[in-house]
Amino acid sequence: MTSTMTMAQNGIATTEHKTFSRETSVSIDVSADPAIIWNLLVNASDYPRWNATIISIDGRIAEGEKIRLKSTLAPKRVFKLKVKSLVNGKEMVWGDGQGTRTYKLTHNADGTTTFAMSEKIGGFMFPLYAKHIPSFDKSFEQFAADLKKEAETIHSIKK
Amino acid sequence: MTVELFNQEFESILGQLKSYLLRITASVHDVEDIVHDTYLKALDKLSTFRGESSLKTWLFTIASNLAKDNLRFQKRWTEDVTDVCKQEALANRQFFQEAMQIRTTSPQGLFEIKEHIVFCFTCISKSLPLQQQLCLFLKEVYEFKVSEIVTILDTTEAMIKYYLHTGRSKMIQIFDGRCALVNKEGVCHQCSELNGIFNPKQKFQEEVVKIELAREANSADKERLFDLRMKIIKEIDPFDSGAAELQLHHLEHNRVVMEKYV
Repeated sequence: MTSTMTMAQNGIATTEHKTFSRETSVSIDVSADPAIIWNLLVNASDYPRWNATIISIDGRIAEGEKIRLKSTLAPKRVFKLKVKSLVNGKEMVWGDGQGTRTYKLTHNADGTTTFAMSEKIGGFMFPLYAKHIPSFDKSFEQFAADLKKEAETIHSIKK
Repeated sequence: MTVELFNQEFESILGQLKSYLLRITASVHDVEDIVHDTYLKALDKLSTFRGESSLKTWLFTIASNLAKDNLRFQKRWTEDVTDVCKQEALANRQFFQEAMQIRTTSPQGLFEIKEHIVFCFTCISKSLPLQQQLCLFLKEVYEFKVSEIVTILDTTEAMIKYYLHTGRSKMIQIFDGRCALVNKEGVCHQCSELNGIFNPKQKFQEEVVKIELAREANSADKERLFDLRMKIIKEIDPFDSGAAELQLHHLEHNRVVMEKYV
């Protein structure tokens, strides 16, 4: 986990700006089994049902697979991303040439699960287009809040 | 447990087991095969049954495993199954001739709107991933506890809860978008269309208000409407109802169509 991810707690996103990159991160504690959260994160077609920041994700979320994501941040764009790595139930990395998004789950001793998400964008040309990229903060906070709500709803189903 | 007692209990569970398997496979032939194999397998393993779960849970476990093997290489149906199959039926004169024959001669040939609701749910539930479909029926129709479904499907409590929630949410979304009984903008009117064909003297609007699901369509929330739909499904045995033969004939038609389509 990056240092910025450690700093961003309780569903409040933070963004660290550097000359050639920008990194936004958020984390939130979820009262649910990590398997529930993980399944929400890897079921591509189900995202729009529970996640207000995602318009659609086409494709299969599995290591090496390519997915096509439409986000409310840029509804007219289709982001073609590759699932770069995936450790089942723990960590997943998506990305393209400009950025990398990391999802991480940590099972805590008190039964909760910490969900952390970060996205780093950048490169040598980054200073030229940085001002055209909207802030991810609100979208990240919404993502984390929606995930928490959905996972806790599932977790609370009567036995 | 003695074989005699086992036979008695098997007989008492048989109706539920058959309807469960029909809802999963949509094939009367497969139901007969799986029930037969379930009985033989259970009898063979009876000495290993320790009563750690109920016999019903144990039998549903065996039957579910056999059904999963049976379905392993079959593709899932599509959400628009009723649209696809309607088009095929309209072009199939023999289908309607057979259906009208059943309608006029069979004691189980009535057309009932409620029974069509059950039939429709069976078809559309086959568009869910199999684990979601199994969980949904086991919990919502056969009233197993989550802990029992964990045993039946041999997975974790978290996964069962995930399958239940996502399966239920998906079905609510599909019916909210499609079913004209619960949504005036819904694109599917097949229960009223078929009522017009099979019960031309019966006025659909007069019949439909007798159904709680339709009466509450404008006032109840989506979760409540789904519960009311499940209540109808729980009340009807697809093998032993006034419309059983007519609906099973229709289901077989849809199964054949979907096998070619998907």
